[in-house]
Amino acid sequence: METDSYASGGWVLLLRVLSEQVYMSEHAAPVPDRGIRPPGDLNPRQDPPLDFIDRPLHQMEPSDYQVLGYISGLEVHQQLLTDSKLFCRCPAGRKATEVDAAVLRRMRPTLSELGEYDGTALMEFKTRKEVVYLLERSTVCTYEMDDAPPFHIDEAAVRVAIELALLCNMSLVSELHVMRKQYLDGSIPTGFQRTAMVGLTGSIPFRVPELGVDRELRIRQLSLEEDSCREVSDVGHRITFRTDRLGTPLTEVVTEPELLTPLELQAGGRLVARVARATRKVRRGPGAARQDVNVSVAGGRRIEIKGIHHHRGLPLLAHNEAFRQLNLLRLRAELQRRELDPSALALPDPGLPWELSDLIMDATDLLANTGHRPLRRAVERGETACAVRLPGFGGLLDHPVQPGATFVRELAERVRVIACPPHRPFLTYSDTGHADLSKRHWRQLARSLGAAAGDAVVVVWAAMDDAATAAREILTRAAEAFVGVPAETRQALRDGTTGFERILPGPDRMYPDTDTPPVPISDSVVAEVAGGRGETPWAREERYLRLGLGEVAARRLASSPWADLFDELAPAAGSPARQLSTALELRLPFHSRKHGLSRADVLPSAARLEPLVRALEQGALLPYALHPALDEALGDPDRPVGRILASYRPLSADDASPAATIQAVVSRSHLLDGKPPEVVLRWAMGEVLRPWRGRLDPHQVERALADALGARVTTAEAMT
Amino acid sequence: MSQGTKGSGSSTGASDHGYRGSALQVMRRFGITVWCELRAETTRGSFQGLLLPRSETSDDLHLVLKLDSGYNIGIRHDTVLSLEKTGYREARYQIPEREFPRNPANPNVKLLGTGGTIASRLDYRTGAVIPAFSPGELYGSVPELADICNIETEKLFGVFSENMGHEQYQVLAEKIGQAIGNGYDGVMIGHGTDTMHHTAAALSFMVQRPPIPVVMVGSQRSSDRPSSDAARNLINAAWAAGHGPIAEVLVCMFGPTSEFYNLLHRGTRVRKMHSSVRSTFRTLGDIPVAMVEHGKVTILHEHWMPRRSDRDVLIQPHWDERVTLMYYYPGMRPDTIDSMVDCGYRGIVLAGTGLGHVNRLVYPALERASAAGVHLYMTLQTLWGFVQMHVYETGREILELGVVPLANMIPEVAFIKLSWALGLHGDDADAVRSLMTTPLAGEMTDREPHDGYLVLQGGVPEVEAFVKRVWR
Ligand SMILES: [Zn+2]
Repeated sequence: METDSYASGGWVLLLRVLSEQVYMSEHAAPVPDRGIRPPGDLNPRQDPPLDFIDRPLHQMEPSDYQVLGYISGLEVHQQLLTDSKLFCRCPAGRKATEVDAAVLRRMRPTLSELGEYDGTALMEFKTRKEVVYLLERSTVCTYEMDDAPPFHIDEAAVRVAIELALLCNMSLVSELHVMRKQYLDGSIPTGFQRTAMVGLTGSIPFRVPELGVDRELRIRQLSLEEDSCREVSDVGHRITFRTDRLGTPLTEVVTEPELLTPLELQAGGRLVARVARATRKVRRGPGAARQDVNVSVAGGRRIEIKGIHHHRGLPLLAHNEAFRQLNLLRLRAELQRRELDPSALALPDPGLPWELSDLIMDATDLLANTGHRPLRRAVERGETACAVRLPGFGGLLDHPVQPGATFVRELAERVRVIACPPHRPFLTYSDTGHADLSKRHWRQLARSLGAAAGDAVVVVWAAMDDAATAAREILTRAAEAFVGVPAETRQALRDGTTGFERILPGPDRMYPDTDTPPVPISDSVVAEVAGGRGETPWAREERYLRLGLGEVAARRLASSPWADLFDELAPAAGSPARQLSTALELRLPFHSRKHGLSRADVLPSAARLEPLVRALEQGALLPYALHPALDEALGDPDRPVGRILASYRPLSADDASPAATIQAVVSRSHLLDGKPPEVVLRWAMGEVLRPWRGRLDPHQVERALADALGARVTTAEAMT
Repeated sequence: MSQGTKGSGSSTGASDHGYRGSALQVMRRFGITVWCELRAETTRGSFQGLLLPRSETSDDLHLVLKLDSGYNIGIRHDTVLSLEKTGYREARYQIPEREFPRNPANPNVKLLGTGGTIASRLDYRTGAVIPAFSPGELYGSVPELADICNIETEKLFGVFSENMGHEQYQVLAEKIGQAIGNGYDGVMIGHGTDTMHHTAAALSFMVQRPPIPVVMVGSQRSSDRPSSDAARNLINAAWAAGHGPIAEVLVCMFGPTSEFYNLLHRGTRVRKMHSSVRSTFRTLGDIPVAMVEHGKVTILHEHWMPRRSDRDVLIQPHWDERVTLMYYYPGMRPDTIDSMVDCGYRGIVLAGTGLGHVNRLVYPALERASAAGVHLYMTLQTLWGFVQMHVYETGREILELGVVPLANMIPEVAFIKLSWALGLHGDDADAVRSLMTTPLAGEMTDREPHDGYLVLQGGVPEVEAFVKRVWR
């Protein structure tokens, strides 16, 4: 046999088309409800309020969200503070800066435990990505690269997960079964995440007086899993990841979808984070806690927004997603009004779409001399331009979907993620405002495609087989407009909108990890963890209330990073406790800002502050002196605290009288003649109090000054 | 689309589906069986799910529930307050099975199965991976194969790699002979990786001068994982078997751990060198015969046996079980060798230190063995390099004891070859010795090229620079 005969170039393409034929036959059904989603994903209400008047977030009332049928839930991922990763003994929490080596992998869908291919898996196989992993020796070993079986699960991580489950009042399993959850996006080199269910059906007190919330927040489940890679870049068919974070233990806490406004969602996220921090064994800092948010509105379905690092942006994301769903449902209504049918968008499988369907044409030659520069460059690169006719969709590509985005973005995102065109832009379309192509070209395209006035035409360009995938995806996404809101996971974008990430995976993607034995959770371990468990935020609040703090102060202190410091200082109940909590709340953030530190870094030792608190309790430090004394103790760590206390001791009989100071200040007050009396008084207060440094009672000084200044004014008037 | 009904095996077997002891008692008490959907009230709270079979190697204390979320959990028997059956749903595994399309323009390849996993499905009962093997199952999981060749499969055994032995080698050799006689263009052998190189060596001797490629293939990382090497190995092996020009017994496995290309290793020079990495198979003391990627076979070696159109082949499926491989260690006592002789062993392959040495303590035992007519051969623990017993006096002494050096034959290969040679020539000691010292399939070479030994040492700056530049 001649060597040349096996070097034939065509088979690779054939192979791809064939693979899609096999894997995608169910996928290509015209109505994309492929039966892989459990019905639980649909919003319980199926009557979208299409005539709702859209309003920005800050103008929405809770009752408005009720009209929308808005519901949302959280999946909070929290990295645990352990020495090593979950299934190997690489150090956890170390960030890589170097690249010592790289490994390349590809992912294929495999059969789930129940013998079906998962929808997400299919889509991700379609994207045909090369996955590159960057390795740094000190942060990753052969385990994470799936070149070695897992080691024993990290005990410390299991214990933190149990503790968190106990804090959430959950039902604990007796035995952990490590499962494999498939991720074909490459974010985990095995192609699956090892994860184990730890607890089910819990609840935590959910009190947010400013939102009028006072109820329980139900927790559906808590699992212990390994973290994925950090994405570095995603260009065309190559996605690159860092592997330092990979394998770090984290807990995933899933709430029931019972958060009824975007602000409740945010409060829920903060609450779950506080409960996790109550274990004191969770990581802090950027990326250590991330949440996925599930949102749906009446008529829509659960959409997952992934990997949100901050609570701050949650409300806007959720709000925009609610209206995206409503807008997609309006689009569906318009399609129904136009009496269109998704079967008109059906495309046979397999093969090059422009050879199979009247809806699609290879327009490369027709558009070769276009004046649209991105398209002309693409043709010069040898790419294929294809035009897709969407019958009856005229005007609908400009249908608003998110702030600043219309339905065409939904199409473009699918193309970007699934067909992976490396250059942008990669499409244009016939609706208003798109003068990318000349009128003559649009006319010729319309004629060649048999497009009528009510049709829309999309032109997309990429390498030939990517253009084929792109054309198919445009039809698929357009057909999904007939169901309204297709099941997806979406990524949060900086402007508060979201972008398509992938098809929402179903439970099919779980199967048991054959590499790890079940891990029993014995009663003695549970008892041990329960004995040493952290105090919940609500228990803390209760305790602070009993110390005499007001409701707001108690809640703020309980959720503050210095709550432990406060407890160590153990102020007496009543005013010392109140004064200390106020002082810490006002002075600690001030100092952290001043030194550009995170709040946790600026915390002093309890030993340093304890003499101040004891002096406060004994009356050896007046409440007014606490703030300046605290400032000195924080600002000059080398100054002995005894010296600070001495300089702030209350006045005694031996001390010079403040009366002289008051008199001197009053005598200088003529400089401010003509200013309003309250301004003069404020100035004089400062002048008197400053040299006495908190050793005077400001109220007494104020009275004395008011009298003295009043006398001076009266005298002056009498003299004129 | 025709759906196969394979996989019903997962629900058969022991009637307790892996449950026994306390866990089984709880199930019986509440009238629950495997595949029941149930609600469990326990001292740790209530749980709802589907009762799955339990792995037989797990303890007898826990019930396994599959939750709606897809997670499995264990419930300990003594936490159970009640179990209430709410339904019944038996799961079945199915690999999408389709008729393997035949294309008359494509070569015909015979795939012989030994029980190793190439494509696979999972077994609930044991948690193990069950191979997908029929052409339809294979096509269902690796459809690319249909572009490469027409595959017919024959499952010969269902044994794990470590249970492969001479009986299996002999059946394989005869089946290869039949496939050659029946006009196939190539043979593939699906095999577990642990002992793949033993089988490769055995087939290299039992099947001499085949006119077509005989390609062994497996997966180092299980085929149920998306990152598995299985599909790529299978695709490349199909190319090597159906289209490749090399008519030898070859092992086709990943070259680097990255998914780039496969290597074709000569069956007598290949060895599994790592317990788990994908690039575990290495050619020792030489370079691999070829690379395969994207449907292209690139020859690396200057010597290889070309594909022929005739059907001539010499099949010699012989074996003598009375051969052992002894790994020498300092302080080894002579009675270890004596006891082999006393047990009736007729051949001993020694894996000696350095250039082929053992200590003086065992000399008397070697002398006794030699006098008893036991064949003694020397190979190297160092794996790389040649036995050279003339350099040191020790070596010369050992030679005088009747120990025959085997050049750079890998110890496992020498064991296989001696078992085969003794099986072939019985009591003709000269014929055995002549066969052992004559290279038949590259098991001994005349020379070792400078790049026949390349174990790069990590940490060295120039190596790190190389690794950084070239995908691993
Ligand atoms: Zn590691």
